[in-house]
Amino acid sequence: MDFIGMFPLFYFPDIGSAWLMGITGTIHILASHTSVGAALLFAFLAHKAYKENRTDLYDYMKKYGMFLLIFSYVIGSITGPGIWYTATAASPRGISALIHNFVWVWATEWVFFIYEVIGVFALVYFIDKIDRKTHLKLTYTFALASVGTLMLIIGIISFMMWPGNDAFYQTGSASDAFFGVNTFPHMFLRIGFMIMMAGVIGLIISSAMKNKEVSNELTRKMGYVSLLGGFLVLFFFMWYIKTLPESADILLGIYLPSILTTRIILIVAFALYFLLAIVKPQYVRRSLAIVMLFVIAVVGLWPGEKLRESLRKPYVAGRYIYSNQIISRDVPGKGIKSEVEIVADRGLLQVNPWIPDRLRTITPENRLETGQLLTKLACSNCHALEPGAKFRPLMERFAGQDKEMIKAFMQGSLATGAIPYMPRIDLPDAEFDAMAAWIATQTN
Amino acid sequence: MDATLLNTLRDPAGVPFYPVVFQALYVLTWALHAAFVLLAIGSITLSLAGSGKQKRSADWKLLTAHMIQTGKISISLAILLGIAPLLFTQVIYDPNWYVTNALSGIWVFAFIYALIVGYMLFYWFYYANKKGGGRAIGLVSFAFIVFAGVLMHVFSVESIQPNEWMGWYAPGGVVDTSGLSFHMHPVRLLFMVSLSAPVVGIFLQNYSDFLSTRNDFTKEYIAFARSLGTTIASIGLLASAALFVVWMFMEGLLLNPLSLAIVVSVLLLLVMIHFVKRSYLTTLWLVVVALLISGMRELIRFQIMGDLGYSVYDYPMNIDWPSVVMFLLTFVFLGFTGVAFIATLAWRAGKSEGVFDASKDALVTRLANSTFAILIVWCLVYFGWGMFTVFKNSFA
Repeated sequence: MDFIGMFPLFYFPDIGSAWLMGITGTIHILASHTSVGAALLFAFLAHKAYKENRTDLYDYMKKYGMFLLIFSYVIGSITGPGIWYTATAASPRGISALIHNFVWVWATEWVFFIYEVIGVFALVYFIDKIDRKTHLKLTYTFALASVGTLMLIIGIISFMMWPGNDAFYQTGSASDAFFGVNTFPHMFLRIGFMIMMAGVIGLIISSAMKNKEVSNELTRKMGYVSLLGGFLVLFFFMWYIKTLPESADILLGIYLPSILTTRIILIVAFALYFLLAIVKPQYVRRSLAIVMLFVIAVVGLWPGEKLRESLRKPYVAGRYIYSNQIISRDVPGKGIKSEVEIVADRGLLQVNPWIPDRLRTITPENRLETGQLLTKLACSNCHALEPGAKFRPLMERFAGQDKEMIKAFMQGSLATGAIPYMPRIDLPDAEFDAMAAWIATQTN
Repeated sequence: MDATLLNTLRDPAGVPFYPVVFQALYVLTWALHAAFVLLAIGSITLSLAGSGKQKRSADWKLLTAHMIQTGKISISLAILLGIAPLLFTQVIYDPNWYVTNALSGIWVFAFIYALIVGYMLFYWFYYANKKGGGRAIGLVSFAFIVFAGVLMHVFSVESIQPNEWMGWYAPGGVVDTSGLSFHMHPVRLLFMVSLSAPVVGIFLQNYSDFLSTRNDFTKEYIAFARSLGTTIASIGLLASAALFVVWMFMEGLLLNPLSLAIVVSVLLLLVMIHFVKRSYLTTLWLVVVALLISGMRELIRFQIMGDLGYSVYDYPMNIDWPSVVMFLLTFVFLGFTGVAFIATLAWRAGKSEGVFDASKDALVTRLANSTFAILIVWCLVYFGWGMFTVFKNSFA
């Protein structure tokens, strides 16, 4: 019996396992972007403190550094591998594809990360223990190493969206996969966000300083830094969306109107906040600064990351691995073959290695059980299956439809790949029939 | 489970270099990771013990503060160094890695948050201890960290039982997608944990040797730290040796040459901690022991998989030279120079009283300037290579 390389399925009810990854991913982005932005800010402050002999700035850097050490480095360094971990449970073949294409890139990032982590301890703990000239050099190298980690990861996550041309599929080369059409706009977009986040965190520290004169001066500076970062985000976002694949354009057309209003409100609110920091720094209290940090995380970051995840659909990596673990196209450069036709010909129950023998053949007795299992295998990476579930609830899509209508949709749209943001799932008639039968029991 | 299926589960992209290199890197980096995990567990345990004794003893007060600091940095380094073995294992043993994580998906998710909560609470303990309290929070932190460690052990143990996977996934023929699989090997776990005693014991010897050149630490304190280290390491090594023998007996590997080499090397370590004055030499030997234990773990896995017909050495290859070269050059130039810069700086600053003027230290200055130059060149090459690739592929 010939199988395809699918792994067991992990499914988290109501939320869906992929969204567990989204939660960890969002926390990681907040922490890791802040840490790289902070590294740049540190270099700026250290340069200024050294050149102008400003001892008061070193006190600020120490406080800022401790905050970051606890906030960014503890959370960031754990959630980084955490995304990886959760992804291996939720999308094993997707993350496997990334690992097997980019293992040396990741290993290179690890070298940078080593320098970054031991560097942050040195940076914070040595402020008063070594001479300032050497500390300044440490700060410069730390900033470059931090940006280096971004430069290395960005090609991998850009490849998750798409390489942008046919080169990678023909050569299988990691550099053709890594340097795609949206790698650089994506990088600069994130650098802008990192700078903004460094300022946002900086405002929390500066607003809490006891020396009012220094506090106001630094709050004003953080306002400028944040404003610059915010501007870069907007500017490079325009470029970034022009480099997205066609299916993403369609999805963007669907999602954008609903999120546009909140985006505009958020942009205005943050622009006013940064301007307040510049014009009236004394009004920026620590409580306000903390609230604004959470606003950006909850209202800004989570929907933004959700959108990016959605725009990638139906693929999880390189536009050749569907979110449901099936390989959708040939990649001659790597000797990879499409599995869609194999599944269409023999059915998931025959080619998935993790089906118990008693369910490999559909019978009247097991039809609903196999229907449920097939629906989980084919759909649960994107859709929650429970009626009334929170994220992309599948049953809502079929509300009021009977089995035949559901099956007709599957055979007319899913099997032909007519919906560009959904995987082409072509299955034998009996398997569609079982899926439709089970879904009908959930919706009616 | 047989080799045909295991080979089907391999990534169709193949591996981008010789599998034996990934295997060697796995053994090496796991040993480094384990060393800091064990140091973290040992130093946190000691700091918790010390937090109860510090009111009665000035020596314990100082030691507790330093052990908290050691624990804090060790956890960070353990996480950092843990990334590499995670990476290398899933390159050549991807069937094991992905099946395990899917079967225990909910624990995989819990692991991350247990570690975050445990580590954040440890920082709380660090600040609370400065004011002389926080023991309870330290204990809670420790519980979370140990739980995370147990979970990691569970994943390792599950990954080397391919014959059990289907039974766990579909017990009685009913598929269970909850990701709740949880299977332990208590003896193996106890052996690994027991190693934290010799690791922290030898670290205490290093610590006393390091401080012995400084005038701001008393001779009595330095002797106290060394003696405590020797006692903890001695007891710990005997316990570890006994547990190792039981584990190897259960695996049927007691008389394997590697197993015997580990027993002999552990006993030699026991002699060294009592008779070798320069404890840095003992630490070097400890590294060798850690590599041997890491090798034994790999031998067990390799044999289990070999019995099923799976060999990492016949993993299909698609060598990707540009990324291999990028890694090697970055590892050699940035890795060695950058780490040497900070390590030398830390060592010399630690040996100095007051502010250390590194700008007058020729070696530190040269290392700092070289690290900076390497990073600049690296960025230039990155952008040059990237732009060339984008233009080449866009206009091809």
